[in-house]
Amino acid sequence: MPVPFESIIPFAIISGMFTVTGLGIHYAHYKRNDGKPVRYSLDDWDRKMLLRDKQLTGTDRGQVDNVVAPKEFKVNSVWQVHHSLRNAFW
Amino acid sequence: MGNPGYKYFKGEDWIDPTPPPSDLPAVDEVGSTGAPLKSASFFIGSVCQEYNEDFMLCKDESRDPKHCLREGRKVTRCAMDALQKIQSKCQREFQMHWQCLDIKNQEFGRCREPEKAYNECLFSAFGWKKAVPGAPENRPQIHERIPLTD
Repeated sequence: MPVPFESIIPFAIISGMFTVTGLGIHYAHYKRNDGKPVRYSLDDWDRKMLLRDKQLTGTDRGQVDNVVAPKEFKVNSVWQVHHSLRNAFW
Repeated sequence: MGNPGYKYFKGEDWIDPTPPPSDLPAVDEVGSTGAPLKSASFFIGSVCQEYNEDFMLCKDESRDPKHCLREGRKVTRCAMDALQKIQSKCQREFQMHWQCLDIKNQEFGRCREPEKAYNECLFSAFGWKKAVPGAPENRPQIHERIPLTD
């Protein structure tokens, strides 16, 4: 007798769970990084640069190449704020 | 211990309640984010070498922020000047290069083709040549070694 279709169902369920998890993680990374690939192997320099980028553009991955910063840049640093309250992940 | 700044923290609308005193000379800040700065880094380093070294030696004397304000202003102005030059002549190649870096985790080794066009443009416009400081003199520079051997 051929392979019964009932035996495929658990495999389909398990593959479906892996797929949903994978897609969910991909979507979360996509949203967090403005559609760009994730930054990895970040050292202290990179983390502080991401904090500065957030100060300039509002998001960690936004990039602008102006020569002069807007005047709000001089006073909108969140460095004085306790690190558990900044929107930083470290 | 209380959290400093908690009283003023309103999510994203943080404004520093203690800006610098107004008797200091005003200097604009560099408005580029990480990827354009990394792309221009070797050229800023070669153009502004004296000012950067002055600043680092000054910091070596004392870590107090008030001690090195003058050298810091010079560093900022020189970096802005270098960026202004790059933007005036090679804006297209500069943008291609830093957009590539932004996608590739800001690693130079993964963006060699845009970098080649960018270096050629800068060399023909200003005569700037990218050289890694401290590299051995008798071997070609890593960004000129294609394909990589030994």
